Amino acid sequence: MATKSRSPDAAPESGPPAAGATARAAAETGNNRDMSAGPAAAVIRGRRAMAIPPRVVLGLIAAGAAAAVYLWWASTPDVNGLGGWLTGAGQICGLECGYSVVVLVALMARIPPVERGAGADRLARWHAMGGRYVISLVSAHALLIIWGYAVEARQNVVAETGTLLTGYPDVLMATVAWFLLLATAFVSARKVRSKLRYETWYYLHLYTYLAIALAFSHQFADGSAFTTDLAARFWWSALYAVVGAAVLWYRVVIPARDYVRHDFRVAGVREEAPRTVSIYVRGRRLRELEAEPGQFFRWRFLTRGLWWQSHPYSLSAAPSDDLLRITLRDAEGKFAALKPGTRLIAAGPFGAFMSAGSGHPVLLLAGGVGVAPLRAMFATLPGPVTLVYRASSDDDVVFRPELDSIAAAKGATVHYLVGGRDAFPADPLSAPALRELVPGVEQMDVYLCGPPGMTAAAAAALHDIGVPRRRVHFESFEF
Amino acid sequence: MRRVILAVTATVAGLVALLAFKSHSPEGSVDSQSAPLSGVGTGTAGSDTGGANVQGEAGANSVKLAPGERAVTGNVANTNYGPVQIQLIVKAGKIVKVNVLEQPTSTEEDVQIGQYAFPKLIAETLSSQSARIDTVSGASYTSGGYIKSLQSAIDNGV
Repeated sequence: MATKSRSPDAAPESGPPAAGATARAAAETGNNRDMSAGPAAAVIRGRRAMAIPPRVVLGLIAAGAAAAVYLWWASTPDVNGLGGWLTGAGQICGLECGYSVVVLVALMARIPPVERGAGADRLARWHAMGGRYVISLVSAHALLIIWGYAVEARQNVVAETGTLLTGYPDVLMATVAWFLLLATAFVSARKVRSKLRYETWYYLHLYTYLAIALAFSHQFADGSAFTTDLAARFWWSALYAVVGAAVLWYRVVIPARDYVRHDFRVAGVREEAPRTVSIYVRGRRLRELEAEPGQFFRWRFLTRGLWWQSHPYSLSAAPSDDLLRITLRDAEGKFAALKPGTRLIAAGPFGAFMSAGSGHPVLLLAGGVGVAPLRAMFATLPGPVTLVYRASSDDDVVFRPELDSIAAAKGATVHYLVGGRDAFPADPLSAPALRELVPGVEQMDVYLCGPPGMTAAAAAALHDIGVPRRRVHFESFEF
Repeated sequence: MRRVILAVTATVAGLVALLAFKSHSPEGSVDSQSAPLSGVGTGTAGSDTGGANVQGEAGANSVKLAPGERAVTGNVANTNYGPVQIQLIVKAGKIVKVNVLEQPTSTEEDVQIGQYAFPKLIAETLSSQSARIDTVSGASYTSGGYIKSLQSAIDNGV
């Protein structure tokens, strides 16, 4: 436990002591009352915004895929011989590629009802899985078309490849797009990925937008589903245009608008534990954001060293109208040096954490700095709440005084499970241990947040205990 | 890994099912194919600038000519894949349009090669105003037949 934060009312250490905003930040958050008016104020106030459940999202995606197959079906009179089969398969693969790249972009467009319903972590997993699938489809499309055309034209595949590249409109551009996608897949492969900085990988990834643009025209110029079908062209273009507009709107326009409207600035930084800091962010009319405890924003601090990276961090206290707090692991000390007044872009809020509740008693299961969003929920959730906080050492426990005073104020329970595996007779997050620690756990709604290994183990234990999957909520970020 | 196998299997199964459905379409549907065939690959069909009509034989006698135009029909040129015959529409000694009266259509490949090759051959004909045009790669037999029929039409009098 960091001795520095033992006195909750002390001003954040890193900020200049005289800064009014900093002092205020401390005053408003250092005590055990949260920034919002009262428990669950955010929940009661916030309208139940529209959320599209994951199953519906998948259903919509599947319907679109069927429509893409229909384009082929409607434009193909008959399939004959080896060449016809190969070409037909290549055409279907091509149509599905043209459709799925748009879906992959849409999954990352941060469309609010989709984000709320499916959760950013699930969308990211779908995107990664779908990306691998689409790369395979693109390759199958290219190879099948070459082969099929070669068979039909009684050519060898090398000569046919030349014919396709030079004789068919825009195929050359589409080939460049294919190679760009393959390069993206290469840098996204786990082995390569782990050697790259997150940002390097991220910016290389943006080349996929270029690839999509390059590959667009050959679909209409060469695709038999489109050459004569004006309606098909119209709807296909509309799909691309709508998704493109959504990306621009939700990823660029809205954050820019919020930047101007709310004027986010760093109010102060406080060290909560070694290498763990809380950043207080001041802004105007933050209530309009309708952020709830448990949600996160994507933060981009506009300093020389940090402006080019954007990371998701959860609110670690219920938001007020002029103050937000996030708590994060700062291994390299990059954030501890943030000066009050630093401007920043906050995109959000995102996250489906809180809205998933069903009225049962609540268990919050935190690991390490994953306690941040749960800390905010712990303070604001109505009804009986139990917090189980797993940390590998005393140094990794943050918010202990805050958590203790919240628990005392609302009569809630906190269990600290601190120490390595050998500090316990058995794994403290195993099914029997959890059942003993938290009586009635099988009747509870469980919120999980922590390192991936911990959340996976805890989810497995909860499954063994018999907590239905729909009542175990977790968002994990493995970028 | 299980997921990968599942995805690959499902995709291949889906493709095979779709293609199998299409390839088992009854013989009677051949007739309906001639409908999309005419006009296929003719982005400028019917326009005054001179396009091409890829038509079945039925179209041979029903060409509508504008004032000052006349039709010159080439000989049938036999190729390994079937006969090719073209018709030139000539106005003031210039080839303004090429109609394909006959082309190999016995298989889907033939049709597709035709869709791909004829627009190119016709465009070359209109720009060179002669039969000295290059064959389209991947469609050498079709090109050969086209050029033979074109030459005979030019010989018949442009």
